[in-house]
Amino acid sequence: MLERAIVLGASAVGAGIAMIAGLGPGIGQGFAAGKGCEAVGRQPEAQSDITRTMLLGCAVAESTGIYSLVIALILIFMNPLVNML
Amino acid sequence: MEGNTNFVSIDWTLLFQWGNLLILYLIVKHFLFSPIQKMIAQRQNEVKAIYDDAEKAQQDAMQMKEEYTRHLENAKDEANEILKNANKKAVLRSEEIIREAQEKAQNIVSRADVQIEMEKRRAFEEVKKDISDIALLAASKVVERELSSEEHQKLIGEFIDHVGDC
Amino acid sequence: MEGPKIIFTIPLLGGIPVTETVVNSWFIILAVFIACRLITRRLQKVPSGVQVLAEKYVTMVCKLVDDTMGKNKQRYAPYIGTVFLFSALGSLISLLGCRAVTADLNTTLSWALVTFVMTQWGGIRTKGLLSWLKGFLDPVPVMLPMNIMSELVNPISLSFRHFGNISAGMVITMLIYSGLAALTNIVFQGLLPVPIFQLGLPAILSIYFDVFSGVLQAFIFCMLTMVFVGMATDP
Repeated sequence: MLERAIVLGASAVGAGIAMIAGLGPGIGQGFAAGKGCEAVGRQPEAQSDITRTMLLGCAVAESTGIYSLVIALILIFMNPLVNML
Repeated sequence: MEGNTNFVSIDWTLLFQWGNLLILYLIVKHFLFSPIQKMIAQRQNEVKAIYDDAEKAQQDAMQMKEEYTRHLENAKDEANEILKNANKKAVLRSEEIIREAQEKAQNIVSRADVQIEMEKRRAFEEVKKDISDIALLAASKVVERELSSEEHQKLIGEFIDHVGDC
Repeated sequence: MEGPKIIFTIPLLGGIPVTETVVNSWFIILAVFIACRLITRRLQKVPSGVQVLAEKYVTMVCKLVDDTMGKNKQRYAPYIGTVFLFSALGSLISLLGCRAVTADLNTTLSWALVTFVMTQWGGIRTKGLLSWLKGFLDPVPVMLPMNIMSELVNPISLSFRHFGNISAGMVITMLIYSGLAALTNIVFQGLLPVPIFQLGLPAILSIYFDVFSGVLQAFIFCMLTMVFVGMATDP
């Protein structure tokens, strides 16, 4: 029982730590959005193209954050480590 | 069986969602995309036909306009021609009229001259005769002498001619 | 945090559970079917009302496919339109109080797998089997595991992106609801049976998490699908 509790707690902590990876996409996407704003300011007539490209780039840049989310979700909801006991 | 599945799990729902996606795809394709695309294509054709018609009509109108312009030009030329002809004719006619009038006037003048001449001559003859008669009468009255009338006449005539010349 | 509720079970193969997700999808399919029938049953030459919206949607999807995938890819337009409609409505259904269809990994994973199959099948069809296989050895043969990995990871990131965004919004909304309920309890000492603080604030959050995020994720999913398939089928 104690081992189980330790593993569960460690899993929760691990999930929390995994989500630190959320920093990266946040900074990166903020950077991309800022550049996008600059581009729109420079060339307002290309706004739709810029927005589309930026969203696409953001979506791809988000992948790392998504991977961390996947790991966190697996750690919390699937508990693979508990089953190893 | 009541309850919940896991928050993150892969189960039968995956297959159900494939089926649902397929059903929705067929619905959207057959009841939304194809009729609307067909309608849009139809409308495009119609609008294209309308534009073609309009273009054709415009072309026709242009052609007609050109034709009319040409006709109008022709008519103007013709009118000019007619006017010129009429002018020429009028000028000719007026010249003719003037000439005729001049001729007539000349005729009248010459005839009048001839008449005057004739009148003058007749008056002259008459006066000559009168004078000769008067002279003869006076002479016969003054001179009670037998004289041949012919000799007298000649004498007086010479005298009168002499007078007339002066 | 619990998954979608099991509404009923089909007694086959030891019981196939039919969850809330599936039932909500059926509702969406029904609504789309009825709307499509109503709109396209009497199409008019001079459009008016909802017909304008439907035509706008169709032409917009076609134009997007044209712009993103290139010419001669119009046969993908209905699929893209379907996925966008399903995804956007699946997220927006949470406004009605139902569980979002896209807050279930099975849904997004099934779509992402369809995209994956379309991508690979398109690659094989346009390049031919041999040159498609040779494509995995580019630029040097050592990169083979990397190339395979990057292909396999696509559906995972695609599905988890959509699922993560929507379900995170759902979780946050739920946390805020329970937090507001607790706050009401503390302030009124349990005298008020109605959690009055739940009025107002969640509506503003719902505009972001349900409406904006849902439509944006639907758009991104369609966009990425178009880019992947377009890149694979480029000659």
